[in-house]
Amino acid sequence: MGKIMLEVNELTTKYITRFGENVYAVDHVSLKVEEGKSLGIAGESGCGKSTLALSLMGYYFAPLHYTSGEIIIDGQKITGMDPDDIRRKILGKEIAYIPQAAMNALNPTLKIIHFIEDVIHAHDPKATKKEIYELARERFAILGLPEEVLQKYPVELSGGMKQRTVIATSVILSPKVLIADEPSSALDVTSQKMVIKMLKDLMEKGFVKAMIFITHELPLLYNVTDDIMVMYAGQIVEKGTAREVVFDPLHPYSKGLMGAIIVPESGVRNVKLTAIPGTPPNLKNPPSGCRFADRCKYVQPECKVRSIDFRDVGNGRAYRCIFSEEQLRKAYQNG
Amino acid sequence: MSKGYFRYFLNKLVWLFITAVFAFVLNFILPRLMPGDPVAAITARIAQGMSNSTGMKEVYEQYATLFGTNRPLLEQFFLYVRNVLQGNFGSSFSQYPRPVADILKSSILWTIGLQFPAIIVGWLIGNTLGALAAYLKKGFDKVLMPISIFISNFPAFGMAIILMVIFAVDLKWFPTSGGYGFDMIPNFSWDFIVSVIHHYQLPFWSIVLIAIGGQAIGMRSMSIYELNADYVKYSRFLGIKDSTIVRYVFRNAMLPQITGLALSIGTMVGGALVAEIVFSYPGLGYTLLNGVMGQDYPLISAVTLIITIMVLLANFLIEIAYGLIDPRIKAAQSE
Ligand SMILES: Nc1ncnc2c1ncn2[C@@H]1O[C@H](COP(=O)(O)OP(=O)(O)O)[C@@H](O)[C@H]1O
Ligand SMILES: [Mg+2]
Repeated sequence: MGKIMLEVNELTTKYITRFGENVYAVDHVSLKVEEGKSLGIAGESGCGKSTLALSLMGYYFAPLHYTSGEIIIDGQKITGMDPDDIRRKILGKEIAYIPQAAMNALNPTLKIIHFIEDVIHAHDPKATKKEIYELARERFAILGLPEEVLQKYPVELSGGMKQRTVIATSVILSPKVLIADEPSSALDVTSQKMVIKMLKDLMEKGFVKAMIFITHELPLLYNVTDDIMVMYAGQIVEKGTAREVVFDPLHPYSKGLMGAIIVPESGVRNVKLTAIPGTPPNLKNPPSGCRFADRCKYVQPECKVRSIDFRDVGNGRAYRCIFSEEQLRKAYQNG
Repeated sequence: MSKGYFRYFLNKLVWLFITAVFAFVLNFILPRLMPGDPVAAITARIAQGMSNSTGMKEVYEQYATLFGTNRPLLEQFFLYVRNVLQGNFGSSFSQYPRPVADILKSSILWTIGLQFPAIIVGWLIGNTLGALAAYLKKGFDKVLMPISIFISNFPAFGMAIILMVIFAVDLKWFPTSGGYGFDMIPNFSWDFIVSVIHHYQLPFWSIVLIAIGGQAIGMRSMSIYELNADYVKYSRFLGIKDSTIVRYVFRNAMLPQITGLALSIGTMVGGALVAEIVFSYPGLGYTLLNGVMGQDYPLISAVTLIITIMVLLANFLIEIAYGLIDPRIKAAQSE
């Protein structure tokens, strides 16, 4: 087993809305990512994926609040650290993220190079402009961005260029862990694949040591990440290797997600085969018992009553359902 | 200067020219549509005590020829154009034979000296307060906003009169009218300057207060919008310091406020003219009032023309500068 780059234990965070309500968007989430490995997180919109991404950074500001659990990056526990230390020593250096809305992630009135200067100076006030420029030029070149981009304003760049600029900026300090939150959802299939390839390249070249890749299209993760976790209503409902989760999903929700979208390879993507009926529950007062029960084809009376354990079946495989593996596989075979 | 910006500049210049021509024509026509015969009024004044009606008629004819009012309107217009281009606005009717240009020369300086600083100060204070309200929220915002909304909806003459009643009539801190002591002759003596500053306060603050209200409201909502922008979140998670992010936000919120200034400069000047009238300040507003009272066409036309040109020019300069400093506008122009 490789060195563990990111370890998260029972992390819970919540939004406090303007009206004082608590929204538990990340509910007792645990995960591990080893050096050189990537983890995919899939789930429909509103399941808490973006909130999880932000929560993993260990830096909280309203309306998001930390509740409990721990985050350990490369052996260093960051939960409980002073926020200003986290800002200076952790963000961007130990862990960095690529936001979902990469198109708007850059300050429109700031030249790219000045933004990068601000990023680096926030961690190392002594860095000279020349050093920063050299570093930026080199990182941008790796992502196929010409040097001139550094002197441009974000509004002068095309969508794809902006996307790559954001990626390059996120890895400018060679973070150990990189979290990519649906970095390609706004792009067409070809560009999506390019983005994924770029991210894998970055890891292979050692600019990033471990990666989390978030998407709402579970099938997209096959061939992209080593492991997959499926998230539903703030909880992890299944985890395993990418091959296992894509070809042998256990949780009915994962099964539904696999059926919901045709694998990009097959070409046709405009038809949703068997979209899961209904929508994820409101996280202000999530259902007790299984959170997926209301939408589940195989629901039993007891599903709605008792809380369901995350059942560990060995080799890192686990899922949150009352049925056994055999029962589930059989049920799926019969359709 | 980029090609796109040059087009932007040219476009603004063409519009400046077109509006100036329209304004010029309207300035000529509108005062002449006023009821009453100013030449008759002058004749009556000059020929006071004359009982001979033939003599009266002769004097009338003489003046009508002199002012050109007995010629066809179109001919009068072309004469007017030729004269104005030579800096000759004709003789005043009401202060005959004093040339209009002579009357304007002194009042323009008073107006610019009063309005330019007042509008700039109002803009700066208003934007600072609005930005603080957005950033500090809570108590400050709750007090500032209702006051700003109240003040910005206040008619200009109301503000001037309130200040006059409180600070000039009741408290007697400042004089009620004039630009300097009525017993003084303009010169560069210390006494005169002190008197000018003393007379300056009430008209100045009545303009500033109105400007503050409107600008603060605009700046507050722009800042709130920017504070919630995606780039703020991304910058934070890269570890950039809050003070740097606040700088981004206020710069981005401030830039559109510059167009706000361009748009409202017309209204502001209108309000400022009212302040001049209320305080009998020796600027263009007060001169205009005298012109209207005396049915003094040449004076009215000249004053309105000057005001219009000043507003158009101010607008033009602001837009040109804005296009230069905001990359969002620059980029939009080159598309
Ligand atoms: N600022 C916020 N305040 C309150 N609730 C929020 C906020 N942002 C997101 N949420 C809620 O948190 C849940 C998870 O949202 P999100 O993490 O964006 O999901 P995903 O990325 O999977 O689409 C949703 O139910 C959403 O309504
Ligand atoms: Mg999301």
